[in-house]
Amino acid sequence: FYCTQRQRRSGSRCTHSSFRPPPFIFLGNQTSLNLFAFTVSGKKLQSFRSAERPQAMASSTIASPSASFIPTKKELGRSAFSPASSPFSVPKCRKSISKKIVSVMAPQQSERKPAATGSVKTAMTMTEKILARASEKTHLSPGENVWVDVDILMTHDVCGPGSIGIFKKEFGQNAKVWDREKIVIIPDHYIFTNDERANRNVDILRDFCAEQNIKYFYDIQDRGNFKANPDYKGVCHIALAQEGHCRPGEVLLGTDSHTCTAGAFGQFATGIGNTDAGFVMGAGKLLLKVPPTLRFVMDGEMPDYILAKDLILQIIGEISVAGATYKSMEFVGSTVESLNMEERMTLCNMVVEAGGKNGVVPADSTTFKYLEDKTSLPYEPVYSDQQARFLSEYRFDISKLEPIVAKPHSPDNRALARECKDVKIDRVYIGSCTGGKTEDFMAAAKLFVASGYKKVKVPTFLVPATQKVWMDVYSLPVPGSGGKTCSQIFEEVGCDTPASPSCGACLGGPKDTYARMNEPKSVRLLLQVCVSTTNRNFPGRMGHKEGEIYLASPYTAAASALTGYVTDPRDFLQ
Amino acid sequence: MAVSYSSSLSSFAAAAFSETKASIAPASSQAVRFASISSARPFIAPLTSNSTVLRNRRASFVTPRAAAESHSSPTSFHGLCYVVGDNIDTDQIIPAEYLTLVPSNPAEYEKLGSYALIGLPASYEKRFIEPNETKTKYSIVIGGENFGCGSSREHAPVALGAAGVAAVVAQSYARIFFRNSVATGEVYPLESEVRVCEECRTGDVITIELGESRLINHTTGKEYKLQPIGDAGPVIEAGGIFAYARKTGMIPQSA
Repeated sequence: FYCTQRQRRSGSRCTHSSFRPPPFIFLGNQTSLNLFAFTVSGKKLQSFRSAERPQAMASSTIASPSASFIPTKKELGRSAFSPASSPFSVPKCRKSISKKIVSVMAPQQSERKPAATGSVKTAMTMTEKILARASEKTHLSPGENVWVDVDILMTHDVCGPGSIGIFKKEFGQNAKVWDREKIVIIPDHYIFTNDERANRNVDILRDFCAEQNIKYFYDIQDRGNFKANPDYKGVCHIALAQEGHCRPGEVLLGTDSHTCTAGAFGQFATGIGNTDAGFVMGAGKLLLKVPPTLRFVMDGEMPDYILAKDLILQIIGEISVAGATYKSMEFVGSTVESLNMEERMTLCNMVVEAGGKNGVVPADSTTFKYLEDKTSLPYEPVYSDQQARFLSEYRFDISKLEPIVAKPHSPDNRALARECKDVKIDRVYIGSCTGGKTEDFMAAAKLFVASGYKKVKVPTFLVPATQKVWMDVYSLPVPGSGGKTCSQIFEEVGCDTPASPSCGACLGGPKDTYARMNEPKSVRLLLQVCVSTTNRNFPGRMGHKEGEIYLASPYTAAASALTGYVTDPRDFLQ
Repeated sequence: MAVSYSSSLSSFAAAAFSETKASIAPASSQAVRFASISSARPFIAPLTSNSTVLRNRRASFVTPRAAAESHSSPTSFHGLCYVVGDNIDTDQIIPAEYLTLVPSNPAEYEKLGSYALIGLPASYEKRFIEPNETKTKYSIVIGGENFGCGSSREHAPVALGAAGVAAVVAQSYARIFFRNSVATGEVYPLESEVRVCEECRTGDVITIELGESRLINHTTGKEYKLQPIGDAGPVIEAGGIFAYARKTGMIPQSA
């Protein structure tokens, strides 16, 4: 129906390369579903379909013993073939006071071999389709290396100068970029600093954009007042979305690992290095290997203390930081459909933290509505075929999920927020492409309102991702607050004033970066301990090697700010 | 699947190779005199470095573009190894504060190298690069799972290469780091079949025979099989993504 609506509105032809499947497509005859014999914690369960090859099961072992869900054959039988309306029901966890993650996830299922399925040969996943179209092939399979036409190339101040250097070296000092409208250059990483090299790097971008007449360059010259720069946006991945450069079905490459964020728009988006980017600048295409797809089906009503950050931390904790290496992560299900665009961006943003090549969320009315006022370029969404083959499929009942954190020093070091309530912290950081969008600040503000405007107990740093987010923080009313803006609420509870929009301290940066973790010891604690809405917590990520970072949702971050300890947001939201 | 590189040796590289080969004693011998770090470096056509820098590092090498057209790959690496653990992320390989250095700028390229692996925690007692040095004495890095995870920053393989690393042998790689290693030619990314990181110690003398996919630890006397390079093979053999694209006609010959 949304297709027809779009046609009426814009008068342009809206084509879908395949019928969009309903959310529960993996039930019934879906050939990608495989509930054959699998191994759970080493114990083999009997298959209840005809014989399946044992070697296919080797890859379907539940990796982590912390996935405490051990279903019986009967429960599986019921869930596998239950009607579309009833989500997979999860029995209570067998441990009484569980220290493990409460069972919210079905065991992974691995694909059936083609010979056993009679599957249609041309069936493809969303990622395979996007790459097929971009490489002008009728069909692609995972593992194929193809030359892909690029729709958008993004670069920023850290990797731009290096990419430009390679472009000039390889294509010639006087070479011209392949398309001046398809390169988007966004300074965002080291902007509000006195570091001379950092400032020089923005100058290098400016010179190149002038020379090449690059259409989209979000420049900044007055570092003392970001508002004095009309073109400046801020964090590249959020700017790409807000400026309408993300479109369903397209190929977007960027010199930043979190380029995968754009997959939220139903496109293929991934991070590349300087050399690849220099190549794309001149050639407009790149050699890419088609990844197989892992499918994550999330159903169930999202509790009002859970955000997309909790979803992705749960997934990464499940499959580990290398669980999706060289793979695509596809997110479907009723919960995903209920997410707004910014939440979908949070979900896809951390795909790289699981090692993923790209993440995708099928485009739908939410996507089209978001894009309405942002782009006038035509686009063609694609969707995974009914018969598409997935490497594995994971199912989650989100209604059972509890707020999650990733403990130091790895994004897959998953724990329940409530299990960490004795961890004393000395700061909270709300910002970055992962957790510094309008919706993220709204969430934090809502929690402060729900708490009755308690004062924060630790320095709480707020870094809006872009100028637009900053303006939203200062202008949009927060529901339930009687018309107050985020900024007013933040001021009332004692947060730091929202800072100039950029990547900020998410990755440390030059030593004078606002909110950087610089000291090995703070006055009260042995270490600096931060609860952060950012994406990585490896040693030294936000500055000092010994600093400890707990990755969390904006709700969890706000709750932690109010207590001075890692805190489950239900303490304030329920 | 054996990876054979010997067929693509060109004459100018052969001279340098024979120097490397001659200095490697048989595996069983204890009296190993290994070649200097510079000759152990891979002869992969450089894509980022200024040709001046390369001439300084590689004795008989020619300018980058010419090298790309008559490219040849190395057959072996030899030197001391530095052992790291699992999930060594790009922030540990080159902390973000050094990313203002632009790799395609020769002076900054060298500076990047001096900061390689400076982000490793204090639990690593032996420093990768001594405090007042800019190059490392370890030409081979041995890692565990998911080496190079985290950022897409090409500064990571570049810093290792600039520091003097010739090859990395890891149990597995994060994909962007692997891809960047292949694209830049800065370090040769090899995969081991077992946890070599648990069987080698920093400072062990290592030989890697590429053609035989073999790693030899002269200090312990043990040998290990390496995985074949796979799909990256044709790109590495051609000399990087640009050379490969020119060879296959995707982009025109030199600009």
